Amino acid sequence: MTLVLSAPRLAQPLRLAGLVGVVALLFVVSLLHLGFGARPIAPRVVLEAFLAFDPASFDHRVVRDLRLPRLCAGLMVGAALGVCGALLQAVTRNPLGEPHVLGLNAGATFAVVTTLTLGPWLGRAGVPVPAPATLLAARPLVAALGAGVMFAAVMTIGAAGRLGATPLKMTLCGVALSGFAAALTSAQLILDDQTLATLRLWLAGDLSGVSRTAVWGVLPWFAAGLGLAFALSGRLNVLGLGDDVARGLGVNLTRTRGAALVAAGVLCGAAVSLAGPVGFVGLLVPHVARTLFSRDHRLLLPLCAMLGASLLLAADLAARALAAPREFATGVVTALIGVPVFLLLAARSR
Amino acid sequence: MVGLAGYRHVRLGPLAVRVRPRAVSVGLGLLLLLLATAAFALARGSLVLPTREVIAVLLGQDAPKAVLHIVADVRLPRVLLALLAGGMLGLAGATMQSLTRNGLADPGLIGVKEGASIGVLAVLFFAPDVDPAWRPLAGLAGGLVTALIVCALARDLSGLRFVLLGIGMSWLLSAGLLVFLTTADVNDVETALVWLAGSLHGAAWPTLPGAALWEGVGLVVLAATARGADASLLGRGAAIGLGVRPGMLDTVRLAVAVLMTAAAVSAVGSLGFVGLMAPHAARLLLGGGQAGLLAGSALVGALMVLAADTLGRLAFAPLQIPAGIVMAVCGVPVFLFMLWLRRDRL
Repeated sequence: MTLVLSAPRLAQPLRLAGLVGVVALLFVVSLLHLGFGARPIAPRVVLEAFLAFDPASFDHRVVRDLRLPRLCAGLMVGAALGVCGALLQAVTRNPLGEPHVLGLNAGATFAVVTTLTLGPWLGRAGVPVPAPATLLAARPLVAALGAGVMFAAVMTIGAAGRLGATPLKMTLCGVALSGFAAALTSAQLILDDQTLATLRLWLAGDLSGVSRTAVWGVLPWFAAGLGLAFALSGRLNVLGLGDDVARGLGVNLTRTRGAALVAAGVLCGAAVSLAGPVGFVGLLVPHVARTLFSRDHRLLLPLCAMLGASLLLAADLAARALAAPREFATGVVTALIGVPVFLLLAARSR
Repeated sequence: MVGLAGYRHVRLGPLAVRVRPRAVSVGLGLLLLLLATAAFALARGSLVLPTREVIAVLLGQDAPKAVLHIVADVRLPRVLLALLAGGMLGLAGATMQSLTRNGLADPGLIGVKEGASIGVLAVLFFAPDVDPAWRPLAGLAGGLVTALIVCALARDLSGLRFVLLGIGMSWLLSAGLLVFLTTADVNDVETALVWLAGSLHGAAWPTLPGAALWEGVGLVVLAATARGADASLLGRGAAIGLGVRPGMLDTVRLAVAVLMTAAAVSAVGSLGFVGLMAPHAARLLLGGGQAGLLAGSALVGALMVLAADTLGRLAFAPLQIPAGIVMAVCGVPVFLFMLWLRRDRL
């Protein structure tokens, strides 16, 4: 299955304008995101809150103290998911590669919920358990491990057979193993309603519960994952040329793939530990970026980060605006946007 | 009189039936197992009843009032609904697998479950005054529309794209379901959540006639078309030569499979993997043509749902694990094994 959205890439000058456009888009969406809420704040005032901060202004305080953490979380989650999708698509050479489709989200969620329910239980059984604060700080690592184990399982079964990892086989494996992890997750939540109460919103993929401490706690993981991904970008280009060519060019395939998967796992873990399982951002974004701009991963990965962040912020805005004053989870909106893309890619395959 | 290998003709006056002794004995064994499981499920729970008293209630004999209430009002409808829903899901799965010639096809996998759920929830939320008896019809409509969309997008049922598109469709619809659940009134959501988890917790007598009706309709149609389905497995040309209209046959059987899945979902919520596993088990145990496959799948499906419900009900008592969760935990390894068996063809 080749890449399917085959609209012509933009010409050089247009591409440059497009790059400026992507940055501008991210900026505008961020301004809107900061301005939107129970008390609407004009973009000009939002800008002033940063450029000419006035501690006496109520609006400035709202923007900087209350809305900034949510914006930062949205930026990180969106960028992480966009880059994670690009990495997975490069490594699996599968246009449907995406953290949700390939089971990474479900694995990360399962790991987080399991540590939350098992912790108190083990504590009661007399096993020494780290303090809740330590557990919270370790959440990105736990989520990354869950995502990694899950993806390894999907790859192992999905790559069996003569034809290797076909999109259909990988998707089916991802769906099945996600279902398994989700069933075990909900069984735990049924048996332990306290954890359910804590995690109810997070489980649907949502940014509303994000705190400043959580953002700071995830930031190093996010930075590490992004850094590793960018460092690999040159070698990812070579992966696309096929195994033999890549080997001929002196790239260690196993090590490159392994490192890319570690980066993908860490990014997915960072995203899930902040916002819960948000799906389909990583599916749409790399395709758009590749179609419009470039297949060069050195350019593609930063683009995916920016587009992913813009998409997630826009989805978060929509989730709050469409049903105001109530809101539905951000993950719902990204699914409603992303799944049609999946359907399009699937319908055009073979 | 011995006919084809493994077959035996039985004559009763003017009637002659061709039976396979192996299939008949395995089928009877399954039936006995089913009855034993049902008896176990009726006797066990927060109050353990002696089997003798349970049988007395079933036979309509005198029994203590408490026992009568527990068996007749609480446990019996639940057991019967499990059997009906499992039977329908097994039949639907067997039909889909022979229609698509794909052992991984399951109406649950292609979004029919979510479509039916959306149909039922739409009535629940937007027209709460409508009689609950109409809810299953909304579920049927939702499931049927979903199946039509997936078929139209995929065009070719036997293609692998069909499954991929179905999966995408079910994701889209589950996002739609989440929109419902996150914007609706909290009380409605609680009702909906219990039902969506694939739980038989709310089973009661009024749900039973509808489910039985659809299972009956499905069984009649599928049995009547079983020979045609056997013929169409020989290929389109051969089937036409044998006097079968493949297009018509496939449409009718697909519609019946979808309707039975939607009816099961309307009755017990979303229960996955039954339609996937039951036909494989039936083929393994019974073998033979469509008729044997259908009977076996219905029996195995009923047994699976009953066992899953009983396990979920008793394992962590007093807490109940919905049958849908038990089913997924047991079903996924089987699904992955099936996938591994087909690894060179996907």
